[in-house]
Amino acid sequence: MSALSGKLRSAPWMLLAPFLAVSAMFVAFPLVQSVSLSMRQSFGPAHTRFVGLTNYRDLLSDPLFWTAVRNTLLFTAGGVFIQLPLSLLLALLLNRPGLRARTAFRIIFFAPALVGVVFVAMIFGVIFEKRTGLVNQFLHATIGWDLDFPWLQTFVMPALILSALWQYVGFNMVYFLSALQNVRADLLEAVRLDGAGRWKAFRYVVFPEIRPVAGFVVLLSIIGSFQLFELPYVLLNSTAGPDNRGLTLVMYLYQMGFDAGDLGYASAVGWVLGLILVAFTVLQRRMSRGEVSS
Amino acid sequence: MWVMGVLAAVSTAAVFAWPVPPRDGVQMWTFARLHKVRYEAAIAEWPPAQRASITLLSMPALERRMLSAFLTQTPSADLIEAERRVAARAFVGPLESVGFADLTDRLRAEGLDEDINGPSFGPWTSRGRIFGLPHDVHPVMLGYRADIVEAAGIDVGRIETWDDFIRVMSPLMLGKDASGKPVRFLLNLWEDKDDLLEVLLLQAGGGFFDGSERVSIATDINARVLSTVIAWCRGPQRIASDAPDFTASGNQLKVEGYVLAALMPDWMCNIWRIEIPQLAGKVKVMPLPAWEKGGRRTSVWGGTMLGIAKASPDQDGLWEIAKRLYTSRELAREIYREGDIITPVRSLWSDPVFDEADPYFSGQRKGRMFINLAPSVPSRTSSPFNTLAKQRVRDAALSLSAYAQSRGAFDVEQLKPEAMRLLEIAERQVRTQVERNVFLTDPGEQPAVHP
Repeated sequence: MSALSGKLRSAPWMLLAPFLAVSAMFVAFPLVQSVSLSMRQSFGPAHTRFVGLTNYRDLLSDPLFWTAVRNTLLFTAGGVFIQLPLSLLLALLLNRPGLRARTAFRIIFFAPALVGVVFVAMIFGVIFEKRTGLVNQFLHATIGWDLDFPWLQTFVMPALILSALWQYVGFNMVYFLSALQNVRADLLEAVRLDGAGRWKAFRYVVFPEIRPVAGFVVLLSIIGSFQLFELPYVLLNSTAGPDNRGLTLVMYLYQMGFDAGDLGYASAVGWVLGLILVAFTVLQRRMSRGEVSS
Repeated sequence: MWVMGVLAAVSTAAVFAWPVPPRDGVQMWTFARLHKVRYEAAIAEWPPAQRASITLLSMPALERRMLSAFLTQTPSADLIEAERRVAARAFVGPLESVGFADLTDRLRAEGLDEDINGPSFGPWTSRGRIFGLPHDVHPVMLGYRADIVEAAGIDVGRIETWDDFIRVMSPLMLGKDASGKPVRFLLNLWEDKDDLLEVLLLQAGGGFFDGSERVSIATDINARVLSTVIAWCRGPQRIASDAPDFTASGNQLKVEGYVLAALMPDWMCNIWRIEIPQLAGKVKVMPLPAWEKGGRRTSVWGGTMLGIAKASPDQDGLWEIAKRLYTSRELAREIYREGDIITPVRSLWSDPVFDEADPYFSGQRKGRMFINLAPSVPSRTSSPFNTLAKQRVRDAALSLSAYAQSRGAFDVEQLKPEAMRLLEIAERQVRTQVERNVFLTDPGEQPAVHP
């Protein structure tokens, strides 16, 4: 009997063993190694030199690192304060009862999310091109705009935010739409019977109901924004754009690790980025718990 | 549970027991389709002992594979054809860990260091040692729309300097559109094109690193060139505009004659030939206008080498193959005929192929023109930080442009102090990165080795 219960006790561990082994090898070990690497100068695993916290110290006094932080925060703010409200607005519009062709609209809004980021960057690169780009051609034809106006040189961050907005607004809309469809109809009916208008119904019934999903979408958006790389890399032709205005944290990590060959420094950037994301996740979880308990 | 365990054990054993297929002779990686096609055709005629199997890889794939192999001491191809930026990545660490074999002594012993055009070794020479056999020279000339220029009765023979170029060609910019802007510009150039900036800086005798590989960005020459470029692109007497290379829209602008001239290394002749066939017979090349009278009439753009992986066996055999590929008269002819690229091997420059008239370039014997300029191409660095330096100098150019526009100051002498200030910032940023690399800044000290 005890032998059987012992086997039963060990069964979950045996079943988990393959996953744990793979995770240890490909997640935990590299993670620990990257901590060590962030305190070294390296040229491959064979040639390394311990430099202690120098990489982190240099990072904090590195103006380019702070430029990357500022740009990443700007892009994140664009995602959270422009893209997500638009997604919610679209979801509210599509959730209206009696709307015709709802499925068609849903597909149209969601379709850009099916396109790869690289493709989106290339499309917007063509749209914003000087002289032959769609934007300059249209503005030139309508208001005599300067055909040579360099959008990607003048408005780097707005161009990035707009490109990301086009791609992800429909994607986030789907989350909001599914949350809206789960709002209790009896509550909405009750608040309307009490004489509340659309805004009050939204503020006091709909928004509290969708808040957990909204919190999740915000967190996803923040994490996605902090990982921004391909979009500026392709849109700005493998550069950080004029005056580094398109330099994001992950781009800086890439530049340091793979252009400058400083893998130790790049690891330090990676760890700082990781810590920022952990901080946001903890904050979001605390806020969610607060909402649940209240 | 036991079934899973057995399956895991069996599959693990199978993976380890699976025989690794033996490599079929010498392996070579290249990123250029033309090279692969031509080399394969040539190799097919060679004795079996000298055969090599060639794999075509995209540049990023070649870069990743090469670096992975060099960094982890895992197998790579025996021969690797690498472009300048990619090869430089192998020079980041200590000299003894460079994954390419040191060819310095072999080149000297066989006199190839004399026979190959000197400046072509620059990008493959790190800390005094040569790690690659140069494939090319890539002198830069000025390609221009001969049909438009000659129809206007302009004689480009009167052009010696950039000032002459502007003076002689400016009548071609008289046409204006409804908003008063020129409908045509003299030069395809823009302040954010870091490759073009580097070409012009090198031509003027500037650049990013000095002869001892020390960062040298904030120099008078660089400040002057940068200020001039901003004046050309933004000033009231603007002569430059952007018709980007390698894009359909840029090519269309070239066809329309929106820009009249462009910096043109030998390989770019081939890009135009393939991508803009409409310009056949309408284009000519001429030596670059110099920055001052008697100055250098060319520059350099791009570059490729053939390196031997240090870890490969039979280094002597690989050296023979590499030498045969890069010093073969037949291959040099083919690569010029099909790729417009001139060989760096000086003893092959007398070949008649370089004197053939080129119908695309209005019957010019452009091979000979490029060869005449080859000895004058500027020397270049092999620093792995060159890409970073290029980016920072481009940032300086963009900041200088914003400064010029905000103050309406486009005179070169007016702009130079600000250009110097911005270049000093760029230099500090690059130097910080270079000095962080203990392998390059402190080569004498042996790094701790962790096997």
